[in-house]
Formats: sequence, C-alpha cells, structure tokens
Amino acid sequence: MSDDLIPTWEDVARSYGRKIYNFAYRLTGNRDDASDLVQEVLLRVRKGLASYTPGSFEGWLWRITRNAFLDSVRKAKRRPTSPLPDDDRISLVSSPSPDEVLASVRLSEDIQSALLKLPLDFRECVVLCDVVGLSYEEIANAVDIPVGTVRSRIHRGRKMLRGLLTWPL
Amino acid sequence: MATMNDMPDHIDELLTAYLDGELRPGELQLVTVHLDGCSNCILAFHELKETRAALRSLPMLRAPESLVPHGHDEIQLSAYLDGELPTTEYRLVFDHLQECADCRANLHELDAARTAIRSLPGLDPPEFLMPASRRVEHKWPAVQVRVAAVAAVAAVAALVVGVRSFPNTAPVSIDLDSFANRHVARASVEPGFQVIPAVHSGGSHP
Ligand SMILES: [Zn+2]
Ligand SMILES: [Zn+2]
Repeated sequence: MSDDLIPTWEDVARSYGRKIYNFAYRLTGNRDDASDLVQEVLLRVRKGLASYTPGSFEGWLWRITRNAFLDSVRKAKRRPTSPLPDDDRISLVSSPSPDEVLASVRLSEDIQSALLKLPLDFRECVVLCDVVGLSYEEIANAVDIPVGTVRSRIHRGRKMLRGLLTWPL
Repeated sequence: MATMNDMPDHIDELLTAYLDGELRPGELQLVTVHLDGCSNCILAFHELKETRAALRSLPMLRAPESLVPHGHDEIQLSAYLDGELPTTEYRLVFDHLQECADCRANLHELDAARTAIRSLPGLDPPEFLMPASRRVEHKWPAVQVRVAAVAAVAAVAALVVGVRSFPNTAPVSIDLDSFANRHVARASVEPGFQVIPAVHSGGSHP
C-alpha cells in the first residue's frame, strides 16, 4: 500500500486483516482473542482514518494494533486465561497422517507455546518481525522504541526461544 | 547452546541483524571478518538461522470470514485443485468452500477447464508466442501457467462442457469430496508436499 494514498476501511481489512489476526494469535495463542483484536483494531482504524494524514501507514496501523493488544492484555488480567495454544491442531480425520505432517504440527505447537513463554516485550518484537514481516524500523515505529532496542529484543527473544525448544535441530 | 552464551553479546546481536538484513553501514565488514575466524560464532549463526526459520515456518492462519473480507482468490483455488497447498491452507480453503457458493462455482469451472486443457493434444504454441529461451525448455513459471489456464477458462470450458453456471446444490458436496480425495491421494504419494509450502515448477504434473 503506497504511503501517500489514504486507504479505505475495507482496503485495510482486506489487506491487513489476516496479518493482524496472526499477530494477535501468535501473541496470545488463542483464536477468540485474536478475533476480538481484529475487530477492535478495525474499529479503531475506521475511527482513525478520518484524521489520518498520509505518512507511514504501516507504522500507524501497527501502532494502533499494538495499543489495542496492550489494552486487551490489561483487561484480560482480570479474568483467567488459558495459557495453552488452542490451535494449529489440524483435524486429520479426512487425510492420512504421514509423520511429516504430524511433525510439522507438533513443531508449530512447540513454537507457539515457547513464544507464549517469552516476556511480552520480546514476544511482540519477534512476532512483528517473523510473523508480520515488518522491518526493524517499522517495528521501532510501531512499538515506539529505538531501532537498536528492536534489534536486541529480537535477538534475545529468538535466542530465548531457541533455549525453550527441545527439538534437536 | 553453550556456544551462544559464551559469546560477547554485541557480536551475537550482529548475527541476528545480519540474518535479517538489518546491519548498519560498516557492520557487515565486522561480521564477515569475525565469522571468518570464529567457529563458535559460525555455530551460533546457524542456530539463530534455524530458530528464525522455524519461527517463519509458522502457518499464516486465515482470519474468520465474518471479520475479514476475502478476495475469492482464483490462484489459491487452482493450487487447491492441483493439490499444491500445504495442509493448513488446504483445510482453510476446504472450509471456505463449504460456505461460499461463488468459490464453489469457480472451482468447478477451473476443474472443467483444467480437465479440458489436459485432454488437449500437446501441440507447440506458435513461434511468435514463445520467447527463444523458453521455446527450448518448454518450462513456464507456475504462476504463468495458471494465469494461462484461467485465461483459457472461457474458451475451453465453453467448448467442452458448454456455458452454464453451476447451481449450488447437492452434487457439490460430493465433488468437494473428490477434490479432497485428490489431495489425500497426492499426500500419500508425496509425503513431503504437505509440510513444505508449494514450491514447484510448472512441469511437475503427471
Ligand atoms: Zn565469535
Ligand atoms: Zn469465496
């Protein structure tokens, strides 16, 4: 999406809805929370577009997304949450189950639950980088920290993740 | 693991930035020179690389339709039809098809077109359509082949099955099963293909 065009709300939903959803899912490990977040973000985008001035759209969008996420985390502190990932489990009823498929499912479950063990600051940067695909600068913009801090959080986050994963690479 | 923790943090961190293509000017020199003489860092580099690759292998899940309007993506349907989707994607398309009559109709047209195209004798295209380098290899990038297949829908489908729209009635679910079986059949023949997202050349079809 070009920086000097103001997208419509539908454009945002179509182009970024899936990324926002995956961002939220990888941070929370919960489909319902992820859906709630997409809804909330699109709501805020809709309100915000009226006053949006062309600039770094990605930075703007991910700042909104991140703030919506942090708000939901604050709210969720008051209710119990399930720490276990509830997804990535593929129904294998209708297909054969070659070892590779099971292994890949297990791998993504492992990664997901390891992600959930990272401190939020690290998890957030890692997810923005490796799931959403933002550059360090875009992450810095979204999270409002220096690029050097982004770099060190991504590094430490991945390294910590590596330590949490038990599979032999 | 020990190797990674023995390292001074700043070099360590540069390896991550190196992997991400995020080094600052001057740092590349530092990293390459250091990697040249330090086996610990080479090992650490590979560990970081694997971890990053593992993270990036996480499937991109599809948000619920009710939240995010989707594009009824034809290319995705073609990949589905050809059994070229990784399993998670495949399930999402399959589920979507249960609900979306438009995409079911498109799938049927694509399938009819594909069958028709595959039944055609293998004639060479006119010379002027083929760039010299490709004329020899007869190997088009997959996407191009698919675009061509889609473009041929109108002509060939009209020729073979007649122009008609497909009602969203009972037979559809039976056909969905047959698509599913195709996927399953392919999966059992090529166990690797479900895990690795489709990377294929245009010429891989039987
Ligand atoms: Zn070293
Ligand atoms: Zn559809």
